[in-house]
Amino acid sequence: MLSIKNLGKVYDDGTRALRDVSFDVEDGEFLIIIGLSGSGKSTLLRCINRLVEPTEGHIIWNGTDITTADSKGLRETRRKIGMVFQHFNLVKRSSVLKNVLAGRLGYTAPALSLINKFSDRDVKRAYEVLERAGILNQAHKRADELSGGQQQRVGISRALMQDPEIILADEPVASLDPVLAHSTLSYLEKINQEQKITVLCSLHYLDLVQRYATKVIGLRDGRLVYEGSGDDIRKMTDAEFKQIYGEDAERVHAGPETH
Amino acid sequence: MNMATDKRKSHNGAAKIPHGIAGIVSLIIPGLGQLIIGEVSRGFILFSSMLSIIVMFIWRIELLAHLQHGIILKFTKALSLKPVFIISMCIGIAGLWLWTAWDAYRIKKIPGYNRLKIFILVITVFFLLGYQIGEINPYKMVTKFPETLKPLSRVLWPWKAAFTHKTDTLSAKAAILSPCGKDTPPPKTQALPDKPYIIADPTCGKLSTMDKDYHLIPGTTLTIKGGNFAPNADTEIWWVDPIGNKFRIRQNGEYIHIKTDSKGSFSMKVIMPYRLMPPSQEGKQIHHIEAIQETQRPGIVINDPLKLAVSRMVETIFMGMIATLFGILFAIPVSFLAARNLMSGSWITKVIYYLTRTIINIIRSIEPLIWALIAVVWVGLGPFAGIIALTFHSVAALTKLYSEAIESIDPGPIEAIKATGANHLQIIIHAVIPQMIPPFISFSIYRWDINVRMSTVIGLVGGGGIGFILIQYIRLLDYRAAGVAVWFIAITVAILDYVSSEIRKRII
Ligand SMILES: Nc1ncnc2c1ncn2[C@@H]1O[C@H](COP(=O)(O)OP(=O)(O)OP(=O)(O)O)[C@@H](O)[C@H]1O
Ligand SMILES: [Mg+2]
Repeated sequence: MLSIKNLGKVYDDGTRALRDVSFDVEDGEFLIIIGLSGSGKSTLLRCINRLVEPTEGHIIWNGTDITTADSKGLRETRRKIGMVFQHFNLVKRSSVLKNVLAGRLGYTAPALSLINKFSDRDVKRAYEVLERAGILNQAHKRADELSGGQQQRVGISRALMQDPEIILADEPVASLDPVLAHSTLSYLEKINQEQKITVLCSLHYLDLVQRYATKVIGLRDGRLVYEGSGDDIRKMTDAEFKQIYGEDAERVHAGPETH
Repeated sequence: MNMATDKRKSHNGAAKIPHGIAGIVSLIIPGLGQLIIGEVSRGFILFSSMLSIIVMFIWRIELLAHLQHGIILKFTKALSLKPVFIISMCIGIAGLWLWTAWDAYRIKKIPGYNRLKIFILVITVFFLLGYQIGEINPYKMVTKFPETLKPLSRVLWPWKAAFTHKTDTLSAKAAILSPCGKDTPPPKTQALPDKPYIIADPTCGKLSTMDKDYHLIPGTTLTIKGGNFAPNADTEIWWVDPIGNKFRIRQNGEYIHIKTDSKGSFSMKVIMPYRLMPPSQEGKQIHHIEAIQETQRPGIVINDPLKLAVSRMVETIFMGMIATLFGILFAIPVSFLAARNLMSGSWITKVIYYLTRTIINIIRSIEPLIWALIAVVWVGLGPFAGIIALTFHSVAALTKLYSEAIESIDPGPIEAIKATGANHLQIIIHAVIPQMIPPFISFSIYRWDINVRMSTVIGLVGGGGIGFILIQYIRLLDYRAAGVAVWFIAITVAILDYVSSEIRKRII
């Protein structure tokens, strides 16, 4: 279980991105974070693996406090938390396989990675993961030769290579078209359900939230303003949704409901 | 005054000055009229244009008539030298002056007044000046063009200087005493059975001389018989004087030559040529007449210009490569100091950053040719000077390109690799270096391309390579040999262009 306790973040320039945010995430949850642009979603997600250092509060995961971990402990925590990004953050000129293998870096002896080498087991794993993502035949292409949807699958594959217990996904479908958004999220849902990996995901579109969430939190100006179950949000009308979300809220009217 | 101007007046305070006054003021000092009615920038531009035109006009007159004293003398002298220029400038300046006044008078008075015309006039006068300062001469360009055709055709098709046919030379000599009398004439040569021979008859005689009006008085006519030469081939007749000077004999202004018959023999008459022997020359004066036949043989000879061009081209390519290599080696470490994103940490690093940037920009702004001039003074003529010059410029240019590549590195992958639990070293190896290598390689190849190009011209100032021989051939007016060098430069640059763009296409 992951507990966020009174989390706060003030950036160096004085921006208060998070204020006193507290909530719990059960194992196996598909938690969706909603909120206006600038409300602190990315900051919250990055605090969990400390890509952004929180300035207040605690993050307790399975009984240990992530916020106080030393650098070795932090790396061990990070390798158990996969991360998926809006712009995929792949090394564009490297091959798909190399990008996926990078997910094993937290487990690889630095000496080996110095010569750019991974164990045979890792390579075999990478092919398996790519096969499950349906992009095995792209393994030796350069990452930037793939379509957006395929690149995001590479990003998710990289996260899966970490054997993660949690996947943090920061607007994973925001740069994809609606059809790809659905297929990417159902892939995450499949991972969530079959491998019991907890997913924390920020999203913009109400129907995607309603379709995939098992729990929803809403942020506004860095504050937690909404917390509800998936059922709660499915009952919500557009008007109520807009109240937490703001005028930016939009629906996606494309893509099949199930896959 | 009409309604329109009245309205304008009430809108614009400056327009209270009457147009007439503005016009008169501008007649005294061009542009001032515009200034006082509120057209500040227009007035300023007109004033400074007018001033610079007049200053430059005076300067041209001074150049034309610097020996004369006094304004009037100078002006009349210049007028006599370049009447068209001086008169058209006077008309232009006077016209402009008047027009400026007219402009000041009209600009506020007439609605929709075309404000562009006066600037067209200003530009025209500047053009007139520029035409004269630049010594532009289309007439010369057209009439002198035919003179360039010969050297141009040699440069474009220089291969005569590069290759020649292999030749066989057949020759035979006969000795002749001049003058007859004092000594015994040499014996007549004999017909030989297997080698070429010539027989002169008689074997002594008088050389051609000149009277005091420089009319040629012909000398003795010799009968020359030759044999065992190549059949049906042209044979040149040469004269060798006692000092050993060898020259072709002319008769009636033409070199004399003869075609052998089908047996390889010939017979002809030759007047002994004019030759002024120094009076100090003593003893027996034995001249020789020589028949020379050059026949082509299958096969070609590669001449010196081609050999030299090849070896210098190789030198050039290596100069470019070594300079690039040194450039890369120095630029990589320096480029980190010149990358803003890496150096924005503390004020010390910021100072280093600005210092590096400044030095690099200064070095880069000085052309490699100038660096070569400095390097020639430093290490002397030759390829090493060229390498130094190119290396200096390459370090600066590459540092700029590399540091920009470092600055434009995508932070996304770094964040992503960090999130997998990788340590610093792993982040650098897996997220930073893969992003840097392609632009580094691409820029390095680009620079290599530039350096080889530059090294072809760096020889012009003594920096070695093919430019070095090119400039020598041009100075010797040996356009064919220069053409060979030019062809090599063109071919190399074309190949290089293709190769480097191919490689870069594949990397990026
Ligand atoms: N590195 C930073 N330095 C200073 N301020 C930052 C930084 N990153 C984010 N912020 C500020 O923190 C606030 C929260 O930003 P955050 O990126 O978490 O929002 P978000 O909800 O992810 O927005 P979006 O939907 O646009 O991605 C914003 O006001 C933002 O300007
Ligand atoms: Mg964000």
